[in-house]
Amino acid sequence: MKITFPYWGNYTVAFELLAKKLNLEVVPPEKTTPKTIEKGVKIAPEMYCFPLKVNLGNFLEAIERGADTIVMPTALGGSCRLRYYAFVQDKVLKENGKNVNFVIFDQSLDIFSKLKKLSKANIFKMIEATIFTLKALSIIEKIERKAQYLRPREIEKGDTDRVLISAFRRMREIEKFWDLLKFEKEIMKELNQIKIERKKVPRVGIVGEIYTVCDHAVNFGIEKKFGNLGVEVHREMSLLYHLKKKVFFKDFFIQRKIKPYLGSTVGGHGRDAIYEMLKYVKEGFDGVIQLLPSFCMPETSVRPILEKIHQETGIPFLSLSLDEQVAEAGIDTRIEAFVDVVKNYYQRKQKT
Amino acid sequence: MKIGIPRALIYWKRPYFWESFFENLGFETLLSPKTNKEIVETGVKISDPETCFSCKVFFGHLKWLEGKCDLIFVPRLKRKGNFEYCPKFFALPDLAKILVKTKILTETFDEKKEKFEESLVKLGKKLGKDEEKVKEAFKKALIKEKEIREKQEKETLERLNLNSKKIILISHPYNLYDEYVNLRIKERLEKLGVVPIFIEEIPNSKFQDPNKFQIPNSKFPSFHWEFAKEIMEKINFILSRKIDGAIEISSFACGCDAVLKEFVEKKFKEAKIPFLYLIIDEHTGEAGFQTRLEAFIDTIS
Repeated sequence: MKITFPYWGNYTVAFELLAKKLNLEVVPPEKTTPKTIEKGVKIAPEMYCFPLKVNLGNFLEAIERGADTIVMPTALGGSCRLRYYAFVQDKVLKENGKNVNFVIFDQSLDIFSKLKKLSKANIFKMIEATIFTLKALSIIEKIERKAQYLRPREIEKGDTDRVLISAFRRMREIEKFWDLLKFEKEIMKELNQIKIERKKVPRVGIVGEIYTVCDHAVNFGIEKKFGNLGVEVHREMSLLYHLKKKVFFKDFFIQRKIKPYLGSTVGGHGRDAIYEMLKYVKEGFDGVIQLLPSFCMPETSVRPILEKIHQETGIPFLSLSLDEQVAEAGIDTRIEAFVDVVKNYYQRKQKT
Repeated sequence: MKIGIPRALIYWKRPYFWESFFENLGFETLLSPKTNKEIVETGVKISDPETCFSCKVFFGHLKWLEGKCDLIFVPRLKRKGNFEYCPKFFALPDLAKILVKTKILTETFDEKKEKFEESLVKLGKKLGKDEEKVKEAFKKALIKEKEIREKQEKETLERLNLNSKKIILISHPYNLYDEYVNLRIKERLEKLGVVPIFIEEIPNSKFQDPNKFQIPNSKFPSFHWEFAKEIMEKINFILSRKIDGAIEISSFACGCDAVLKEFVEKKFKEAKIPFLYLIIDEHTGEAGFQTRLEAFIDTIS
């Protein structure tokens, strides 16, 4: 049995480590390319949202390389379409003659029993693997955050990304928890050695749908693009943020904060987008950018509200919807224009 | 005081109910007119480009009501029993507040947390009416709704027993009853000599026996949407009767229909019944629509 799972930015490394830790034979998904998306779009339902199509592309490529079991994480609660991803993907793959096992990995407690069935690992092994993965996730997010700070300030352009690429390649080979800690120290040292100019730069906050925001392959490496244009990006939305929110019932506090704008949940991370935007405004950011897959139900519902905040506060705002028809050149133009607006706004603020 | 009700989207979930409820409470109500070209155009202009066509039509109606009444009623429908409404309904009152200057009258209807009647009492309080009056108005409105509903259901069952070709129309009530939006599909089908049956009008009470019409396998997910569950159950019922074809209509960019269509289509394919899927939006041309309907009717006769 060879398992595979959808590609999701740098988190893919952590998922791969988890599978290896549980002694599963794994076919790691390759980085999403326009070709992958094309393959997925060909067989996916036309009106479905974009991530499902990308995932299907990932699965098709993994199946070509010998995978026969697909582990698909979906949401248990929530009102958005993510709930039915695994069902629809299973159906679509079967209709196209790919006979694969589907393990639906929903965010409930029975993921443990499912994992047990899959890997035959005992409970201690599982707890160990979970802690290991959580640590790996936190390291990934730490590196990403550090890179967001470094990119606009580095003297030699591209230094940060060079370190990042080698870091994630090395990370895939780690087996022991101790090595993971050592790796964290090493990589932080390497990142700190990058020559930077300590200066104030304009800051932009990224809000939006979790998959597109975190996956640099789908959003054309938007963090890198902003960094190279001399803008520091901040991103609150991440996998650990989502998990923490579930554990600490943060939704309740978020709802209280955004009450004047939205009176209820709209599914997905709709409320978080408003909450984060308000937070960025409060902290004096110079722009907010929203990323969403085209026709994403929660994000399109809250977009008029984000636009209203933009009108009230005057903070520059750009919304980018991503799908299979979006070309990188178009995104580049819009980002460059937006960065100009951000820099103007930043300079005007500096003067006053 | 005049209360405006947009004749779109959530109105069609319970037509006649809201009007008669407010009238029983002693308010004047103003329904926006039937959808026309102007309403659709304003709706498309003011709403988010990526929201679904039905929402755009709704915002058009909302804009029409602006300034013509004192309050516009936009409820926040969240749950019916354990089942949710479309997530786009959740944000409607907040979006309405952004779009129009007239005050919005709203109340959350979450039947998992509190009874429908209790939410209505809260709504009544906002209008300065006491509990007894609200409950009385609710009962009266319910009776009126039931009368109309029963008449519809009786007619539908009669039509199901007819001998001519029957076609089931699957969609949300706001697509089925809004004649401008669905390009008068009922009339068109009748002209082509078939009997259209709205899935909405098939009585609910037919599924009281849980063993009889249960979905037997794991090939179909158990939906958490109220309309999806209803439609899937009604399809199970309709498959037990003789039916010649099925047409599903969905509005462009409807997220829920993207999921639902996959499984509705599968159901009819398994039963070997011809199935046509139509997407409607502001650009749908009448000629193209007619051609597709005619071609479909040719395949079933």
